[in-house]
Amino acid sequence: MVTIDLSQVSVREGNEQIRAAGAEGHDIEVLNPDARHHIGVGLIHPVTVTVRGSAGYFLGGLSDKANFVVERNVGWGLGDNMYNGSVVVGGNAGAIAGVAIRGAEIVVKGNVGSRAGQVMKKGTLLCAGNANFMAGYMMYGGRIIILGDSGERLGEDMSGGEIFLGGPLNSLGSDATLTDAEQAEIDDIRAFLDRYEIPFKGSFQKVVNAGKKLRYGTSETPVRSIPYFTFSGQSDYWNQKVQEDVYIKSQIGRYRVRGYGGARAVPHLTDIAFRKDITAASIGDNPVDDVEMKTLIGGINGAKPLTLTMPVMIAPMSYGALSRSAKQAIAIASGMAGIAENTGEGGMSDAQRDAAKQLIFQMLGGRLGWNIHDMNRADGLEIYISQGAKPGFGGQLMAKKVTKELAEIRGIPAGIDLRSPSRHPDILGADDLVIKIEELREATGYRLPVSVKLGAGRIRDDIKIAVKDGFDFVELDGMQGSTGAGGAEVMEYVGIPTLSAICEAERALASIGRRQDIEIVLMGGIRDGVDAVKGLALGADAIALGTSAIIAGGCIACMQCHVGQCVTGIATQDPEHEKRYKAKVEAQHIYTFLESVRWQIAAITKALGHKDVKQLSRDDLVALTPEAAEITGLPYEPDRRNVDLFQAAG
Amino acid sequence: MTMETARIGADANLMPKELADDTSDKHYVAAPCQIACPVGTDAPSYIGYIWAGKFEEAFEAITATNPFSSICGRVCDAPCEPACRREASDGAIQIRNLKRFVMDRLGATWSPKPAAQTREQSIGIVGAGPAGLVAAHDLAVAGFKVDVYEMTDKPGGMMIWGIPAFRLPQNIIGEDMERLQKRCPGLTIHTNTALGRDVSLEELKRRHEAVVLTIGSWWGKKMGIPGEDDPRVVDGVEFLRRINGGERPQMPKEVVVIGGGDVAMDACRAALRLPGCEKVKVIYRRGPDEIPARKIELQGAIEEGIAFIYNTQQVAVIPQGDDSLLLRCVKTGAGEPDADGRRRPIVLEGSEHDHACGMVIAAVGQYGANEDLEGRGMMAGDRVATEWEGMRTSDPQVFAAGDGAFGGSTIVMAMSHGQRVAYYVKAFLEGNDRPVPYRTPWRTRRVPVAQDTRWEQIPLHHPDFHGVGENPVEFPEIESTYTWDEARDEAARCYRCDAETGSSDYSVQNREDIFLMARMQKTDVARQARMLAKRLRPRENPFPEVRPATLDDLVFLPANLSRLVIDPYREACAINTDLGMGRMELEQPFFAAGFDNAAADVKAGVAAGLSHGAAGYIGLQPLGKDVPWLQLVIPGQIAPSADAAGLIHVVGPRFAAPANLERLHEDQLLGLSVAHHEALEEAIVFGLENKFDVLLLGGNATVGTDWPELAGAPDLSMLRDAITILRRLNREEEIDIIWYGGVRSGTDAAKAIALGSKAAVFGMTLALAAGGEIQNGHELLFAPDRSEEERAEAVANILKAAAGEASMMARCTGKTNLHNLEPEDIRALTRATAAATGLPLAGTT
Repeated sequence: MVTIDLSQVSVREGNEQIRAAGAEGHDIEVLNPDARHHIGVGLIHPVTVTVRGSAGYFLGGLSDKANFVVERNVGWGLGDNMYNGSVVVGGNAGAIAGVAIRGAEIVVKGNVGSRAGQVMKKGTLLCAGNANFMAGYMMYGGRIIILGDSGERLGEDMSGGEIFLGGPLNSLGSDATLTDAEQAEIDDIRAFLDRYEIPFKGSFQKVVNAGKKLRYGTSETPVRSIPYFTFSGQSDYWNQKVQEDVYIKSQIGRYRVRGYGGARAVPHLTDIAFRKDITAASIGDNPVDDVEMKTLIGGINGAKPLTLTMPVMIAPMSYGALSRSAKQAIAIASGMAGIAENTGEGGMSDAQRDAAKQLIFQMLGGRLGWNIHDMNRADGLEIYISQGAKPGFGGQLMAKKVTKELAEIRGIPAGIDLRSPSRHPDILGADDLVIKIEELREATGYRLPVSVKLGAGRIRDDIKIAVKDGFDFVELDGMQGSTGAGGAEVMEYVGIPTLSAICEAERALASIGRRQDIEIVLMGGIRDGVDAVKGLALGADAIALGTSAIIAGGCIACMQCHVGQCVTGIATQDPEHEKRYKAKVEAQHIYTFLESVRWQIAAITKALGHKDVKQLSRDDLVALTPEAAEITGLPYEPDRRNVDLFQAAG
Repeated sequence: MTMETARIGADANLMPKELADDTSDKHYVAAPCQIACPVGTDAPSYIGYIWAGKFEEAFEAITATNPFSSICGRVCDAPCEPACRREASDGAIQIRNLKRFVMDRLGATWSPKPAAQTREQSIGIVGAGPAGLVAAHDLAVAGFKVDVYEMTDKPGGMMIWGIPAFRLPQNIIGEDMERLQKRCPGLTIHTNTALGRDVSLEELKRRHEAVVLTIGSWWGKKMGIPGEDDPRVVDGVEFLRRINGGERPQMPKEVVVIGGGDVAMDACRAALRLPGCEKVKVIYRRGPDEIPARKIELQGAIEEGIAFIYNTQQVAVIPQGDDSLLLRCVKTGAGEPDADGRRRPIVLEGSEHDHACGMVIAAVGQYGANEDLEGRGMMAGDRVATEWEGMRTSDPQVFAAGDGAFGGSTIVMAMSHGQRVAYYVKAFLEGNDRPVPYRTPWRTRRVPVAQDTRWEQIPLHHPDFHGVGENPVEFPEIESTYTWDEARDEAARCYRCDAETGSSDYSVQNREDIFLMARMQKTDVARQARMLAKRLRPRENPFPEVRPATLDDLVFLPANLSRLVIDPYREACAINTDLGMGRMELEQPFFAAGFDNAAADVKAGVAAGLSHGAAGYIGLQPLGKDVPWLQLVIPGQIAPSADAAGLIHVVGPRFAAPANLERLHEDQLLGLSVAHHEALEEAIVFGLENKFDVLLLGGNATVGTDWPELAGAPDLSMLRDAITILRRLNREEEIDIIWYGGVRSGTDAAKAIALGSKAAVFGMTLALAAGGEIQNGHELLFAPDRSEEERAEAVANILKAAAGEASMMARCTGKTNLHNLEPEDIRALTRATAAATGLPLAGTT
């Protein structure tokens, strides 16, 4: 038994000692008079941690196999995302007890706060007292047992799992229903209660998902996309696209869904140009060797930074939206090019981890596939707040793509139309983020950069919050970002362009004098080295490529990603279609594309007279359109068209 | 020019008008199949036309650059197919078979418009093969007089003498020849007229201003082994010529064919069909991966039972006493790569062995020859010495093309030579010494993409294959033409690499550049630079000054960190709406308008849909008793009705106070309808003074007619100015604005609400949902084929969708009530829209 006194050591030191003791198989006693947060987070050894006193937020969070016993009360986020292991709390628990657990047993002898068991996938959460409102909110699986009062809206928007209620039912949540419990289930509950020595003789009501919400009788007829120039301000107001939209919505009675990015032209990096001529002579024969491009991202607060051979990353895209093979090809290419790849929502696969040399692990509100072991083998962590393509929405994956394997990785029922939650259970404001970031850092020993992904909207305010919250970098995603599936209206009309986003972010950070306290990775509609250099010159520390990398790897931009039958085998989980995708061949193509991007970045940087991409600045740019001039504040020089390198290059 | 550099560097502005094409169209790139086609066939367009059932248009696209389309539909080498991007997925589109489908439908009957001879100069062409006849075609179409001299008794060259009828029936060739003659009245073909024998080059030069030599590669090469002079050893092209001339010789039981090219394939398959022949073997000196025969020919031969013996080389023919031959062979292995990259076969020691047979057909290559030209020193080995750049020979008046100039190739390649030489001959005759270098022009017919929902799944389907058939000696065709269903399915599979999809950032040109960037060596500086040059070119400004302010150019600002998003899938957002301080309550902030003059069944359907959708109606007359009605009152027309939930007095461009301000019952709303800036201020002041409840603002000037929105984008500044006036008076909360103009979706409605409206009118949108069709751009007709119930359902659905969309926008911005949207929640994307709405441009705050 090792004893740690948190009145003597910091939580960070305490957690290091807990992990060290755990690794050696010692049980641990924690003296915690001040109810400190994050106790035991990231512990992955089968030892018992006994907390004397009360505990703060996220006790036992992001752990696996460990057992926790708390004498008195705990704060919110008890057992956050625990895999196996257990927690027994002698008193009460705050909000979201058992949030996102994936196998753990959590026993609270007193009452639990609101939203207990939110987005849990597997395991048991027992509340021996009363529950507050919305227990089982958006749960995907597992079991909640409440012996006292149910609280309001029990099982709100649950999509799987079961809730057993021993006390009075206050009200059922949206899309929850009562059903009969089987004797075997009751017997199992009684055995569980006996194991934790909780006396209860009453009977149980069982609550499950009613299966009414987010399910649609009429499916949307897939159509091949109408050419973009035939709508939106470039043709008749009541054009073919408007007519198609009206017709389809008048059949299905809801918003349309499609894949890919925004269709319309919006102010873009292409609307600015370089102040100097880019000529063959100014590029020379081997610009890549003449320009320093190495870029470190994420190290400003002491974490080990991502080391990029050029200021480029792969944008987050999930295995789920994309096939395993497509993700594999991207991962291989990113490794070959010496840049970072990103898991996107929905977890990390071994194949992807092995192929990508540097990998950012993305965490969404549904906590799909999120776990301590993959965090430990990641090179960076990312908290998804929103994405450019559909800010305000979590991931959306049509049932056709939710295969058994995918469901297993994500910890959700197979074959549901997955609409991930829009918010994190434990991030309801800027202050929550501070403590969440701290939890992630505690759990991984402060090794990994922690980033935030923001779909561009109120960037002026959001970026200030991001910097104050202490993120290492922000992934700023303009409205041109793509997605595997999203509401068509949201993709077109929510969010601001990438060009606007970077300009607003830079101005906001400058206004508070904090630009140096966060790094910006810009993404959303960046297609090549030319766009990349413009983004860098406007202030981004790196840029990320998503759709363009996919196109390099064979995507034909038919915008039917949501249908799930991708003709090229990229955006599908259908094995017959995936077979069409030759991951190794396409990895080579993606890599070759990235090398061409590298060549372009180097060539332009050199031609502008710099030796290092970090020397790029706004002084290198002019605006070609009135909109771009107003957004960027750059000189408006519509006549500034580039020389024709083609002639010069022969 | 290679395929990639062609696409990076293609610049239509540099091309002369003869080569004018569509490469300057920013919404088009030549698809890989089109670029792979030596004659630049616009395959994507004809595939699109086939799917749409537009066969005549498809026929035009096919034949535009190819006078031998019927022939090519059967036997083209089809380099388009390996280039097809679906090849890497589940198999290339069967482009040749689709062409065949169209040609079988129309090829025999189509009468082309004759191209008149308009010039005095004439051209003599030697050889009526594909190169010569295409050159003749192009020059005749350009207006020249053309004479073709053909040594055999039929035009067609290898097309007619080299390909057996089971692949290419005579009548198919006839179709093309007939069409050629009809199209080119200035073209004369002199058969049985051989250069040197019947006419000399000197004579031709006297007769014509220019001469083109397309003498072909007519003669079969010798194997160069002992015993090959035996009469039972024949060369492949000679053998095929005899067969195609109509002979059906008795064959020995066993025949050996030597070679792996297309002549070998045709020869072995022809031999198998002849009387007496029981077994045919093909001997090829390399392995199955290196055999040059087109895959489909090879596969056909294998399916017909022909044996292939690889890695085997003939060394001698040894006649036997009993009427048979022994072909002595050795086995070969793969040696070092040759100049062409293929491994040179090396002989394996001690591998000598014999094949017994009754005949050896040697198909080991061809050569061209002509004594007249030889005597003039114009031959280089077995070809006419010719410069590729200008297709010129050593004689300035004489040009050359085709296999006879550049060695054995395919029909379609020879045809492209014909086009190329015609271009240079024309330039020469026009006195242009330095013509722009020739490039195959790429054109598009901008055909919409096939709307087949199964396009991603439909598997490749080959036409039915018949092999040798029931009576082989008659050479029945080996395969069928697609049926219409089959052709349509196959056409639906096309990716349409040439066409735009719905993405402006990833437009077809941007996509293609990315595709090429993914395939260019990083060390190839010239190509990288060319691509960079292309990528540096900015797009055209999508927001020119003529672009009006539009709802499209407004975006919502999503909630992120500074605000909590309200889960748009799950969480509630109120959209119920009251007008006039509770005088009128609606479940959602929507009205319909425009159906006053619609047919009774349309009205009934829309009314039923509105009552489901719980929206009101604004019009001169009520729509149905279940639909809350705001009556439009026009001075001097229908009197105010007590049945109306509200009375909206219509104000013209010059404000005139309504005569009657009475409410006919206590809850009746009073309102003004304004659609003109000039009347706005007076109307608002009047409305406020008289305690009016609502202001119906029209973004299109003619409220009171059925479909004012058909005029185009609404004038958003009406809303801006109304709000400005109300704010100036500090009485914004005292009157509710209903916005009528260009609202197409719940998103548009939410934007109107964010800009200050309380409710929005759906006019055209509901009409389109209810089966309305826009005719001639300015009128609306209702299709009669919809039932009342269908119209009702469609209207209810579109309103339901709109309600969902509107509240989704509100939730994205963090609102739990649609009416809490405010101008601060939106931004403009263009200066015009910013000005018309008074909102900042996104990214400028």
